[in-house]
Amino acid sequence: MSPQITGLIIGGLFGAALVLAALADPDKIIGTLRLKDFHAMRTIAVFVLVGMLGTWILEMAGLAHFSVKPAAIISVLIGGALLGIGFGLTGFCPGTGLACAASGRIDALITVLGMFLGALAFILIYPSIVAPIDNIANYGKTTLPQITNMPKALWVIPIFLLGSIILFLTRPKK
Amino acid sequence: MNELTVSKPPLPWWAAGILLGLVQVLAIGLAKPLGVSTQFVVADAKIIKQIAPEYAQNHPLISNEKYQKFGYGWWLDVGLVIGAFLAAILIRRWKLKATTVWWQQNHGPSILTRLIAGCCGGFIILLGARFAHGCTSGQFASGWAQLSLSAVPFTITMFGFGILTAFLVYPKTPTIDK
Repeated sequence: MSPQITGLIIGGLFGAALVLAALADPDKIIGTLRLKDFHAMRTIAVFVLVGMLGTWILEMAGLAHFSVKPAAIISVLIGGALLGIGFGLTGFCPGTGLACAASGRIDALITVLGMFLGALAFILIYPSIVAPIDNIANYGKTTLPQITNMPKALWVIPIFLLGSIILFLTRPKK
Repeated sequence: MNELTVSKPPLPWWAAGILLGLVQVLAIGLAKPLGVSTQFVVADAKIIKQIAPEYAQNHPLISNEKYQKFGYGWWLDVGLVIGAFLAAILIRRWKLKATTVWWQQNHGPSILTRLIAGCCGGFIILLGARFAHGCTSGQFASGWAQLSLSAVPFTITMFGFGILTAFLVYPKTPTIDK
């Protein structure tokens, strides 16, 4: 399969899953960030746990295609804070913003427009501001098992079990 | 049920999470972990190349080959839009809307304030996502799937500032249909 077709299929499934999961619903995201409605938080937790376990299994089978991002601590902290403020203000992130715009949300469409402007600002400030900050405390494309010098199983299995137990014990009762 | 009620999600949380997790596993098995925000820069880079080719050619970031082509990541975003559209139609949730229940509960019926907040929010969301080398998909979800070190600081500030902002912007809670 060409990368274009693969992208189209995976993107299609991801977009549909975001809508079915109600992550493409800013009211569910705000409810979670306000700590009043835990549906989105629990969905995200399961998403991460299943992704982590599945990726580890794929890796053992020799089938995983990794793309680890550089751990540029300062730029990641700043970027996470900026994204977090926008996320808490709008209830959208880049993926769910696109998905919401596709399901009829005008506010998401305007937010996506803002994103294109944000990307432009990023390009313009990249040489003078972003690139120098990116070099501070940059540990490169490393993972938690690598920096702790521990086998991956000792990270994946405890996180998966602990996460599952917490989700089970705190499950919403009907 | 009055209009100011957050509607019930289509799937239970565990089914929704498993579905998203399986899409992630499929992505990592077939090509590359999920990621969305890079393509906003790719799109802008294409336009800049048309308007100011010299600037684009000498730019340390967008002169990079990654920002010059519409590859897997681009088509993933195109697919995302199509998939979301079809899913919304299929479950009968495609609907023209311009504001949210939480926004109306806290800031009244004005759509204009919501749209202005949306535009400003979108601006810092993407600026932040690229600063951080990824967004909620590429840095958070894919970061944890691969146990990247970068996912740890990202998670702390994204959720920390996300929760703080939501508490400041949305103090009043609407009715939520669980």
